Amino acid sequence: MFSYVKALQYSQLPINISRTWISITRPLTSTSNNDIPNFDMENPFEKEKPKCILCKYDITPDYKNVKLLSQFQSPYTGRIYGKHITGLCTEKQRQVEWEISKAQRAGIMASYLKEPCFIKDPKLFDSENPIRPHRFE
Amino acid sequence: MITYELMILFRLMSKPELVNTLKRTAQTLYNRGGIIRKLENLGTRDMPFKISSHGVVYNKASYYLFIFNSPPASIPDLLDEYERDIDIIRRKIFKQETPEFKECTLHEELQPPPYRKSVQELIAQARKLDKPKFKYNTGLDYYPFQK
Ligand SMILES: [Zn+2]
Repeated sequence: MFSYVKALQYSQLPINISRTWISITRPLTSTSNNDIPNFDMENPFEKEKPKCILCKYDITPDYKNVKLLSQFQSPYTGRIYGKHITGLCTEKQRQVEWEISKAQRAGIMASYLKEPCFIKDPKLFDSENPIRPHRFE
Repeated sequence: MITYELMILFRLMSKPELVNTLKRTAQTLYNRGGIIRKLENLGTRDMPFKISSHGVVYNKASYYLFIFNSPPASIPDLLDEYERDIDIIRRKIFKQETPEFKECTLHEELQPPPYRKSVQELIAQARKLDKPKFKYNTGLDYYPFQK
């Protein structure tokens, strides 16, 4: 009985040692690139580019749409606000001014006043606080 | 083929008269080689400003919109013919065009002036007016003699 147990211990010991050795010696040559950060990715913290209100909703101003065009007109003098007040990009401001000019020539839009039916329309921008002091560069 | 829009303002008329005038307007278009794509009634209302034509001052008008195709050479004739029509207060012909899509450039325009492209162009334009400066061509970055 005794001899049997002893023989078992002797027989088990070297096997166990060899097993642990296998587990320790991990092959170092096979390096996986999963943990290296991708340096070529886009800046994840980049802010969204601001868009003017007409580009945002994809609106093309039309000379027949007087209700929209009159929102860019001063209620006091009928003057067209510049892009430093309206906050439009250069292209949209040019389109709006050209369409207003067409509407006024065609006799569908007032030029010396904002028509009273449009006075209470919601305001697209604050005419009292321009973005820049003037409409030039 | 260019599509035109004719914005036309008629004086206030009774219905048969208006029908006559509309027919006459359309007939003029056909006679000049045009075809009508669409005719829209934009209503009768107060004009935003009074308009005097043919010696009468009008405050109200009936608005009509013709969308038509016509040879470009016929446009001056059409305008001339409509101008002589005493039922027409005002007529304007505009080209119908869809502007090509452009990205919004607002983010560039909101930058401080020295970063804006238009300002940089202005500065470059101003630099062209500078007087030419004499170059010594000594290959040195300083003046070797006593000044
Ligand atoms: Zn825009």
